[in-house]
Amino acid sequence: PSRAAKVLMVGAGGIGCELLKTLALSGFSDIHVIDLDTIEVSNLNRQFLFRKSHVGQSKAHVARDAILKFRPNINIESHHANVKDAQFNVDFFKQFNVVLNGLDNLDARRHVNRLCLAAEVPLVESGTTGFLGQVTVHVKGKTECYECQPKPIPKSYPVCTITSTPSKFVHCIVWAKELLFAKLFGDKNQDNDLNVHSKDGSSSKLDVFERDVDEDLDQYAQRIYDHVFGYNIEVALENEETWKNRRRPNPVYIRDTLPEAVKQNGSSWDCSNDHEEPSAMASLGLTNPQEIWTLAENSRVLLEAFKLFFEKREKEIGNLVFDKDDQLAVEFVTAAANIRAHSFGIPLHSLFEAKGVAGNIVHAVATTNAIIAGLIVIEAIKVLQDDYKNYRMTYCLEHPTKKLLLMPVEPFEPNPSCYVCSETPLLLDVNTKVTKLKEVIDKIIKSKLGMNLPLVMIGSTLVFEDGDGLEEDEAANYALNLEKVLAELPAPVINGTKLTVEDFQQELSCSINIKHREEFDEEKEPDGMVLSGWSAPVEKQINSNGENKSAASSSSARATDDTVEDPSKPGMKRKLDELLETKENCDASSSAQVVEDDDDCTMLDGNPALIKKKRLQ
Amino acid sequence: LAPTSASREQLHAREGGVAIPHLVPLPLLGRSHRRETTASAAMAAAAAAAEPKTKYDRQLRIWGDQGQAALEKASICLLNCGPTGTEALKNLVLGGIGSVTVVDGSKVEQSDLGNNFLLDEGCLGQSRAKSICSFLQELNDAVKAKYVEESPATMIDTNPSFFSQFTVVLATQLPESSLLKLDSICRSANIVLVAARSYGLTGLVRVSIKEHCVIESKPDHSLDDLRLHNPWPELKQFAKSIDICDKDPVVHKHTPYIVILVRLAEKWADAHDGQLPSTRQEKREFKDLIRAHMLNVDEDNYKEAVESSYKVSVTPGISDEIRQIIDDSSSEVNFSSSDFWVLVASLKEFIANEGNGELPLEGTIPDMTSLTEVLCKLTKDLPS
Repeated sequence: PSRAAKVLMVGAGGIGCELLKTLALSGFSDIHVIDLDTIEVSNLNRQFLFRKSHVGQSKAHVARDAILKFRPNINIESHHANVKDAQFNVDFFKQFNVVLNGLDNLDARRHVNRLCLAAEVPLVESGTTGFLGQVTVHVKGKTECYECQPKPIPKSYPVCTITSTPSKFVHCIVWAKELLFAKLFGDKNQDNDLNVHSKDGSSSKLDVFERDVDEDLDQYAQRIYDHVFGYNIEVALENEETWKNRRRPNPVYIRDTLPEAVKQNGSSWDCSNDHEEPSAMASLGLTNPQEIWTLAENSRVLLEAFKLFFEKREKEIGNLVFDKDDQLAVEFVTAAANIRAHSFGIPLHSLFEAKGVAGNIVHAVATTNAIIAGLIVIEAIKVLQDDYKNYRMTYCLEHPTKKLLLMPVEPFEPNPSCYVCSETPLLLDVNTKVTKLKEVIDKIIKSKLGMNLPLVMIGSTLVFEDGDGLEEDEAANYALNLEKVLAELPAPVINGTKLTVEDFQQELSCSINIKHREEFDEEKEPDGMVLSGWSAPVEKQINSNGENKSAASSSSARATDDTVEDPSKPGMKRKLDELLETKENCDASSSAQVVEDDDDCTMLDGNPALIKKKRLQ
Repeated sequence: LAPTSASREQLHAREGGVAIPHLVPLPLLGRSHRRETTASAAMAAAAAAAEPKTKYDRQLRIWGDQGQAALEKASICLLNCGPTGTEALKNLVLGGIGSVTVVDGSKVEQSDLGNNFLLDEGCLGQSRAKSICSFLQELNDAVKAKYVEESPATMIDTNPSFFSQFTVVLATQLPESSLLKLDSICRSANIVLVAARSYGLTGLVRVSIKEHCVIESKPDHSLDDLRLHNPWPELKQFAKSIDICDKDPVVHKHTPYIVILVRLAEKWADAHDGQLPSTRQEKREFKDLIRAHMLNVDEDNYKEAVESSYKVSVTPGISDEIRQIIDDSSSEVNFSSSDFWVLVASLKEFIANEGNGELPLEGTIPDMTSLTEVLCKLTKDLPS
């Protein structure tokens, strides 16, 4: 079957390289590859089709060239593009016999899932994190689609934990990244929760973070330092209630941590070297990223990094977004997070660890990807042969359970209440008098429902459309509608109204019934709206006779004593998900909490930037 | 004191890192506190140290510096570099293994092409080992890739001492007769042997290695055995000192679950002839007993007690597995015994003396819902 098949591979990274190799060696000769990324040094420990000399080039193209070297007579078409681009529409997908995913984010996976459903092409999904991995098969009508089981959403933190009461290092990192770094170097028009008022109101400025005209850089840096680590903490301490049951933070001032710096105004450390990347660590002679710096060292790094941004990268200020590959940004965030951690009695971390947390770096190794790639091809062959009774979801574990390192599980039937592959309407609780259409689109339609270019209709009235090719007056009209509260839209949205939401490209359409509610819990429902109606499926497996059996709910109860369930029974799937969702045993430096990926293929994924930003605002 | 949920993090110091015996971390990658005094020297050092750190970043986050050092100190011998061997070496080379030596006597033939991703048409007729090595070298120039153009069977027969220089011998597609000879060579030289064969969609991997020590620094299932089925005197006293029937809802919902279990286990034993729940039915009834004590539905401590109720049903004394180790002849130690067996010997003595037939306690307490002050007292009450 492999010779005749036309295969689409989405992703040419960790899994992609191994997969392309395995496909080629297994006789596949008609392959398309899509990947938007370019090659980075940190890829080279596992993405073996790439060399140092390829850094900066397109993964899709280089992968293709590398494979053709040992299999010159096969067809590989490489696309250096985003799979969400309009060119990859349903017609494009329809030409393939099977689609194989090697992606690193939930967003793209959902998008591909919808296109595969629309094109009626089977999808083999996969993901890896360190030594864990999985391969799953999704065939419309026969098995669950990728979205039948809700995927875990990435962890986000309540605003007050970040701004006032951090208790873990990751809270300090988020503060340093999303508040301090963003405030100083990012878009000035973004809302930011940092306290901008100064101590004595003596300065006429509204925003204490603004640099005074002709203010000396050293002085500016120290002033900001004292403001965020000293003054803001003192202000927070004034609220007794907050600290009744919590350890009180210690304000930190530059005069205490770096007394000599205060006197040395105007002279900076030796940074006269004009090498490529300005680095505070290099200027200060700190060479080991795995070393945990003292409070004084962190303070020096912070001030130095601060100054280097202004001295060497001034043009970028106002536009910077944190990037884990931006050495200076990582140094800045590490130092800031550490100083804050010190205040709050949280253990400090090395740059290496901090970078992992701040950059949501996922640990990765070649072997797991090789195993998963092999399993993908095995499932792909079954799919091509229509061998549906033998489709398996295979989980690659770190330690053998019941002597198995690879656990095959039969796929489940489609979830009848999955809004993606069936037709169930959803329910949205929202305050229609106060909530703007824009918020519903951002928080629900694009974010939770994963639509890329949605269209919103109420009855026959089109209130919003996204995409190119809009007329000027249409676009203006939609822009106006975005700012209107639901109840005041041209077709008013009130209790009981039904919204129809569509994404043409994904060929996904669903209905949302509106329920008007006035009160929302700030902590539990911070979005001010709640989407429901998408329930977890009753576990029905297709057994080897092709019959369906439902799981009795008692058999899927989690065992509280140590018996491990048989992998072929239902309920095992849930147990596996629980097993796979714990990440404690993953990293060597136990303190780093790796949240989800940014770089390579994982199972537990999400779009951190999207969700975290929204939490904080 | 207002009630708080105390957690393990706040009470215990961080654990140390993984201890791998016999290996010394390379200075370049180890934790170093030496500082260069001039900025330019610092930059050069930073640049030199940075590159492997960047390249290996994602795997360093799995096994850390010491794991990486272990890899870089190791030398691998591959016998037969067909697709199986090549695939294995690819992974090791990418990861930064110290050196690889390929032993393969064959030349690259037509049948190798398209079958082995490290060979292309230009290699036809050349030594397969040599071709593989040069491709491997491209994958990672930090690895020393060498080859010997010789058939593995011949090497095994005529030059067994060749193998003693390696850490691991990876034997692929070798017949059993060769493997048997190789195994005894490796065992006597204390080298790890990994034998692999693959046929179509099936394959086999066997590891042959002498007894060695593996330290699980972060076990998945920590036993947190407080020996609830046979509490030591101070714990019994402590449990007695707490009134589990205190109607105050705050106090009631913060009684540590181990206290609940100790008290209720005692209550059960009193009503059952000194026996603790053992049959399935009894265990269920015991859980019901715990639930009957709940004042209201959101008491986490009682939920914890129900979840951990099986701990009182643990068979007393020492498990068979541990008994087997203790009774092993290696526990009669002498000056050449390994650390592990010395520890076993001491354990054996403890059980016979202070332990009274029981194992020592772990000395830590698990996370549980409680009042801070209660937890602190509990920690103090642990036997030293």
